[in-house]
Amino acid sequence: MTRLKRAIALRETGPALAAFYLAILLVAVIAPQVLTQTDPMAIAPRAAFAPPSLHHLFGTDESGRDILTRLIYGARQSLLLGVSAIALALLIATTLALIGGLGGRMAERGIRWLIDVMFAFPVLVLALLCSATLGSGIVPLVIAVGIGSAAGYTRLVFGQVLAVRDAPYVEAARALGHSPFKIIRRHILPNAVRPLVVLATMGVGQMVVWSASLSFLGLGAPPPAAEWGTMLSMGRDYIAEAWWMTLFPGLAIVLTMLATTVVGRAIQLRMDAGAS
Amino acid sequence: MSPSTPLFAQSRPRHVRGTISCVVACAAAVLLTGCRREAHHVAPQTPVSGGTIVYATDREPVCLDPHVAGDMPQVFVAQQYLDSLVAMDDRGRILPWLATDWQISDDGLSYTFHLRRDVTFTDGTRFDAQAVRANLDHMVDPHTQSGTAGGYIRQYLRTDTPDDYTAVVHLKSPYAAFLEVLSQGFLGLESPRALARPRDVNCQSPVGSGPFMVQRWDHQNDIVFVRNPAYNWGPPTALHHGPARLDRIEWRFVAEPSVRFAALQAGEADVIDSLPPEAETPAQRNRDLWLLMADRPGNPTNGTLNVRRAPFNDVRVREAFVRSADIPGALGSVFFHHYRHAGGPLSPSTPFYDPAFEHVGDYDPARANALLDAAGWTGRTADGIRTRNGVPLIVHIPVRSSWPTADRTLWEQVQATARATGFQVLLENSDDTSVLTREQAWDYDVRLGYWNTDTADVLRIIFSSAFLGPPTGHANHQNAAGFSDPRFDRIVNDALTTTDQDRRRELYRQAQAAAAAQFLQITTYPQTTRLALSRSVHDVRLEPSLHVTTLYDAWVSR
Amino acid sequence: MTALSRRTWPFGLIARKIARRLANAVLVLLAAASLAFAALHLTPGDPVTAILGGGTQTPSPETIAAARHEYGLDRPISVQFGLYIARLASGNLGQSFSQHMPVADVLRAQGPATLALMASALLTAWLLAVLSIVFAVGRRTTAFARTTETFFAGLPQFWLAILLLWALGFELQIFPPAGNRGLRSLVLPTLSLAIPLGGFLARVMRDSFDLALHEPFILTARARGTPEWLIRLRHALRHALLPGISLSAWAVGALVGNGVVIEMIFSRRGIGRELFLAVMTHDMPLVSGIILFIALVYILAGIATDALYVVVDPRLKATRS
Repeated sequence: MTRLKRAIALRETGPALAAFYLAILLVAVIAPQVLTQTDPMAIAPRAAFAPPSLHHLFGTDESGRDILTRLIYGARQSLLLGVSAIALALLIATTLALIGGLGGRMAERGIRWLIDVMFAFPVLVLALLCSATLGSGIVPLVIAVGIGSAAGYTRLVFGQVLAVRDAPYVEAARALGHSPFKIIRRHILPNAVRPLVVLATMGVGQMVVWSASLSFLGLGAPPPAAEWGTMLSMGRDYIAEAWWMTLFPGLAIVLTMLATTVVGRAIQLRMDAGAS
Repeated sequence: MSPSTPLFAQSRPRHVRGTISCVVACAAAVLLTGCRREAHHVAPQTPVSGGTIVYATDREPVCLDPHVAGDMPQVFVAQQYLDSLVAMDDRGRILPWLATDWQISDDGLSYTFHLRRDVTFTDGTRFDAQAVRANLDHMVDPHTQSGTAGGYIRQYLRTDTPDDYTAVVHLKSPYAAFLEVLSQGFLGLESPRALARPRDVNCQSPVGSGPFMVQRWDHQNDIVFVRNPAYNWGPPTALHHGPARLDRIEWRFVAEPSVRFAALQAGEADVIDSLPPEAETPAQRNRDLWLLMADRPGNPTNGTLNVRRAPFNDVRVREAFVRSADIPGALGSVFFHHYRHAGGPLSPSTPFYDPAFEHVGDYDPARANALLDAAGWTGRTADGIRTRNGVPLIVHIPVRSSWPTADRTLWEQVQATARATGFQVLLENSDDTSVLTREQAWDYDVRLGYWNTDTADVLRIIFSSAFLGPPTGHANHQNAAGFSDPRFDRIVNDALTTTDQDRRRELYRQAQAAAAAQFLQITTYPQTTRLALSRSVHDVRLEPSLHVTTLYDAWVSR
Repeated sequence: MTALSRRTWPFGLIARKIARRLANAVLVLLAAASLAFAALHLTPGDPVTAILGGGTQTPSPETIAAARHEYGLDRPISVQFGLYIARLASGNLGQSFSQHMPVADVLRAQGPATLALMASALLTAWLLAVLSIVFAVGRRTTAFARTTETFFAGLPQFWLAILLLWALGFELQIFPPAGNRGLRSLVLPTLSLAIPLGGFLARVMRDSFDLALHEPFILTARARGTPEWLIRLRHALRHALLPGISLSAWAVGALVGNGVVIEMIFSRRGIGRELFLAVMTHDMPLVSGIILFIALVYILAGIATDALYVVVDPRLKATRS
């Protein structure tokens, strides 16, 4: 019985914990200095590779910088990157999906074909193109990750638009002689976009992960930025000696992804309840 | 000549890493995979013949023929299957190898080499004067696409072959470093019959006369070498005569440093190179392993300052930047105190290296600040970056994505210490080709690089006006500083015209002094060959010309 | 969701469908090839310098000119593009400048390693997902399984890879750290790719699975006294498979992309690592060859998915039985 109770309690605490984590994250984004007094950029070579201790809760990195402090200061850039990239991806996805779904047979075929091409085109090549033409920095990274992950989202949204387009209520609206514009605005957009809210919240973490993998390849955010993905990829070489350099930034990313997923699902439930 | 003896380090056996995780590890390893190989052996006194060595390295060569392109991984491979005309010992002296002796004409323009008569390439082709000519012609042929070998012998004119075993090499201008570069594996001698094939075919299956032959190259996986049973013409630096002791070498590519070290610990590899700095202490403590290390000669790992544009067109700003960077501090943290600081323009193991310039650019933030004040960079932005006439003091450093993590971190620390003096350093990550393109257009303030070569003539390549590239358009320039000084040019060119060692030493001392006084580079650490080896592997040597691994003498006890 | 909307196509249409698919495949390949060409020509940077061994070398101007001519880089872009497409049309992928060998040989050498990793990752992911949804019975177990699946789906593959490498490769030494030799070296890279993918697959399949459990035919089966596990495995699972299968086509494409980092971390050979090297040196023929390879794998995966649909679709089976 106690186990069952615990399970129920867990179910309720899940979203609460997620919201709490996201709240802390928000504080870190807006005013990191509230959470820590240390300077995220100040190097201290003699204190390099210190394991977690009371003084450095998450240990220090290869330049003796406090990892917890850098995680807190890195939240802004990492989340900004994640949010902008997912926004770009969804913008592309929605535009293409609406064109393909409502632009007639040719457009539908064209978009199907485009999705196939986009899937075949590696993000790495896009990242190269962006970094070579736009220089190094966050903007090329956002563009590369945003465009690179657009294929998957386009496919999802496109499917949604097609399903809504052929749904009875839309056919009914059409039969009633409503203008296409009105149909899009009143029926298709709301129904096709609703899942996007959930996708967007879950996608933020995914985008941070993607940018981290570009950091691995030496195309990430420029130093000394405390971007989580860059921190994680720098830790890789020292995994045998300093596991904390890899573990904690990774945890920050995973927790962010989990928290946004949990909150995203809560939003979804509420929206579903509101819709029915 | 007395270049300082290269640093040879060998680990002292100490207790095994005694952590709980190790106990767990051993228990689990025994439990799940059976016993790991018992690696500790009492070394027998006499070398034995036979066996295979697994050598794990970081980078795969793009082509096995070292004449083509010419990057470090190629010379490591070439050293196993190629011989050179001459050898170099660890004091920088040139010794006979496939050439038994030679004469240099008084004007320094012709070198007459007398060749060994008993040498054959492993495809049966005879080694003779024609072979020497074919090789030198091949290196300078534009279609070979030779960056290194062809670049080193730009003075080459032609080779005459008065008889089968005499080769007379004619140069366009005197080149006192000729024998030194000839001793490098990059200029190793290949079978002329193999060279006659298309370049890309020769890249896959080159043929030499060395102690091993290339048996197969499985791309991204390994190269397999087998013993050349006829070999009887080893270099004078070798420990034995006759064929190599090993039957086979498996030359594997394991790019990740931590994975490479783990493979050595697990007994999957017998030798690894490019031992990462973070693994050096564990390697020293592991009594199943020993270390073999040596500094490579040439220009140390560095950031070269571009004097062609502001802010580094002012020597005071250059000195301030060099002095604002705490390199020893960075080497201590990122490199765990395992790398020595190189302060001068030449690595200590280079012939004619002069230790007088080691401390010319030492960390001195007070002096750096004074210099910047004097140079007019007195304003400050809100972030504390210095300005002059409203222009902030920004330093652009393009960083290629293949640059190792530890070096990236080192420059991140330079970024942090230079910031304290008021420099804003921007480390701009990009792919290798994009960075190269920026370098060709002089679009950088600092260029990161190094130059491994066994001659002080490297100073001419990196600082003389002959290597500025064409005045217009995009092209490679080896003089990354953009430094141009007639007096310096005269010194390094004069040094090529004389074979008198004392005179060369004096001229190269002047050249080092002139370069150091201009603060053209932040030098960090000498390039090093760093091997970690299993205790069952013996007599692995580094060929002194470039301190490249040679497995000719190596043998295994197990 | 291509396949979902065509659940019930009659078998007679398959031939026409295949023809259309092939035409579509050719178009996709053509577009991918053109994009690759455009991308690398839009990117500033002279591949010749990379070919000649990087910036620290001293190639003479004649050497540079010779190399530029040899690879046709001295011709106008339009001519280069025309030649490139013509060459592709004749089945010739060209010569890699950075590897000094034909692109087809590079793909032949590196393709199997990547395909093996992809196949084993996909199979393992399916195994994990199916085990999780079929054997998580009961409210609490299901809730637990759901949470675990979400957690797994959210794990970044490379992070998992590093941690697995550290724990099982370095510390416990259960699996070899370096990875080209033997099946054992495949385990860690496979797990790193398969665990997140398995979580994702399970999450997608579980909803249909739960729906199917309430279908009338399940109730009939239960009434007939068929054991619960058999019902779940034989009847309900069939319904859950469909979204999983359609997701797999996407997953195959994603695996190649994520494979780059996994191959780097485990020092494995493969297409991903080769792509990285090619991109870094702006090796156009090799990059476009690899993009075509990925496109082809993706197209084949799509075809295989549609074929599986026909085999698995419960409505088709239901009407027959």
